[in-house]
Amino acid sequence: MRTADYIEQACGNLWKKKLRTFLTTGGVVIGVGALVCMFAFGQGVQKNITDQFEAMDLLNYINVSAKHEVRRNPSDSDPDAAPTTDEPTEPAGAAGEPVEVLDDDFIDEVMQIEGVEAAFPEMRFPAQIRRGDKEQFTIVQVVTSRACRSELVQLRAGQPYTSDEPNEAMVSDSLLLRLGNTEPETAVGREIEIRTITLDFGLRSLMRMAFGRGDQRLPVSNQRYCFKVAGVIERMGFGGALPVRSDVFIPPGAADRMRKLVLTSVSDLFQPAGKMAGYSTVTVRVASPRQVSAVKAELEERGLRTFALMDQLDEMKKGFIIMDMFLLAIGMIGMTVASLGIVNTMVMSILERYREIGIMKAVGATDGDVQKIFLFESGAIGFLGGVFGLVLGWVVSAVINLVVNGLTARQGVPYIRYFSFPWWLCLGAIAFSILVSLIAGILPTIRAAAIDPVVALRHD
Amino acid sequence: MDADAFIRTENLTKVYSSGPAQVAALRGVTLSIQKGCFFGVTGASGSGKSTLMNLLGGLDTPSAGSLFVGGRRISDLDHEELALFRRRTVGMIFQSFNLVGSYTAAENVALPLLFAGVAKKQRRKRAAELLRTVGLEGRADHRPGELSGGEQQRVAIARALVNEPQILLADEPTGNLDSHTSRQIVESLVELRRARSLTVVMISHEQELLREFAEEVIHLQDGAVTEREGLR
Repeated sequence: MRTADYIEQACGNLWKKKLRTFLTTGGVVIGVGALVCMFAFGQGVQKNITDQFEAMDLLNYINVSAKHEVRRNPSDSDPDAAPTTDEPTEPAGAAGEPVEVLDDDFIDEVMQIEGVEAAFPEMRFPAQIRRGDKEQFTIVQVVTSRACRSELVQLRAGQPYTSDEPNEAMVSDSLLLRLGNTEPETAVGREIEIRTITLDFGLRSLMRMAFGRGDQRLPVSNQRYCFKVAGVIERMGFGGALPVRSDVFIPPGAADRMRKLVLTSVSDLFQPAGKMAGYSTVTVRVASPRQVSAVKAELEERGLRTFALMDQLDEMKKGFIIMDMFLLAIGMIGMTVASLGIVNTMVMSILERYREIGIMKAVGATDGDVQKIFLFESGAIGFLGGVFGLVLGWVVSAVINLVVNGLTARQGVPYIRYFSFPWWLCLGAIAFSILVSLIAGILPTIRAAAIDPVVALRHD
Repeated sequence: MDADAFIRTENLTKVYSSGPAQVAALRGVTLSIQKGCFFGVTGASGSGKSTLMNLLGGLDTPSAGSLFVGGRRISDLDHEELALFRRRTVGMIFQSFNLVGSYTAAENVALPLLFAGVAKKQRRKRAAELLRTVGLEGRADHRPGELSGGEQQRVAIARALVNEPQILLADEPTGNLDSHTSRQIVESLVELRRARSLTVVMISHEQELLREFAEEVIHLQDGAVTEREGLR
């Protein structure tokens, strides 16, 4: 039998039972639609993240921090302390000292390493920002004027501060929006108030806490500082591990004059004052992600601890696979139900045409001919279901995209395409639908092929 | 025993087992049919006529004994080979016509060609030719439900002959027809046999009809041959 004849037979038979074909195919359409939606969402998320990584060249950064040595004394050996392998312990009695102090000299040295484009200290602290009568809690980041003038920062209005000393700040447009300003240009040159939080171990504060008077539970107090808005920066879609990621940037000189609780590492809280010299973290930017490992190796040779997102990329890819599998598993529920529908339809179709199968065999159809006629039928259901399911999935995801973006746009979130339809997803969906339909058709068609023509011809 | 016979059976036996009980439908039938012969098989209901027919047509396989067609041992063929035997060597017609109700007369006639892998255009041409042979050229686009019993049986005959078989097996072809139409159908079988040098095996309980047209008639009773009549 010719392939064209199988297809013609299959289409003809499906057309004769329009309602049943429509309902069965409908099940496949919904199954494929759900699967396509799920998969396109997974792809969309991955594409957004990797695009964002590329757009902000996150893979070009290395975070450098000093190794904090723990003071060790043979007399106060702690039996519960697990021996650490990556931090060599100092000889007995010797006070651990940072191998390198991360200060401005260090930054200048790092800039000399081949491939390094920029290096800047990283320091952040929580603060309340007040403008007029509105207040917002956010994280303030200390950024050198040099880093502020680099292409890492995208300006919307005003200018970056020119030196590291003045009480000037760069504010993100999204924070301004939350503070009630919709036109960034008008904010430039105006004043904002930064209220920091500090630990206060003064007698009065301790007494208050000890006797539980007032509503304060922690020994903290506030300090207010006035800053001039020098420039407005563009908000980034995803925060992530960006080196410049906060809503407010201030220069290091101004930061030095403030009393604040710095949020770098909890271990800083336990460092002796003398060891706090320099920055706790320095961010290094290299020209291309390929240079990351070389620069990293050189920094580690100096006894520094490094962290690069590049290293995390493989881990993330594994995570994406798990996410894909999870979405796939959910999407497969619909497909499983649809395939049961196909099995049912094929069993019914074969029962109805029991006698016809007997006739086909009597006039010379082989078992294989009979099986293929029905397999083409279920394959055709799969093809139709795949094509229309793809269309359904695309329409549904477009609607979801429209609705979600409509809702989030009011909160100042930029437009995000949540679904992605790469070509292989489209072709794969149709191929998968056909495959599932063929698998669903296998058992019924084997039964059809095995029908005894003598019995079938006697059948009424 | 005639070793030159076109169709030859030796001790052909068919036993059906339904549960623990075994029913012998054919008990050692031995017969030989010459090429081009009009051969009649008669007997009461349940005598094993249809079982013999199914074995001769390759629709069923014997429990014991052998069947030879043109010197080839058919009783040893597997499923696939039997399908090819049915496709190329035999054409069958039945009491209940066994036409596909949703196909037109032309499509029914062309059905065997579909499995033979003949192109669509060729199939149409051949179907039209055979419908003309059985005098139904005007009925090509009618479905079986729109045709009379005689017309339906003639469509079935056209279908049986479309692959140009050497043997035409007719299982009670007149069972559902009035006596006038019955005669016409049998007459056309005789006519086709002559024109196409077919070997025709017709099963019928109408002994008069067989005696009038067949050259040789056997009587079956309880699965065994009880009487042989050489008529011409």
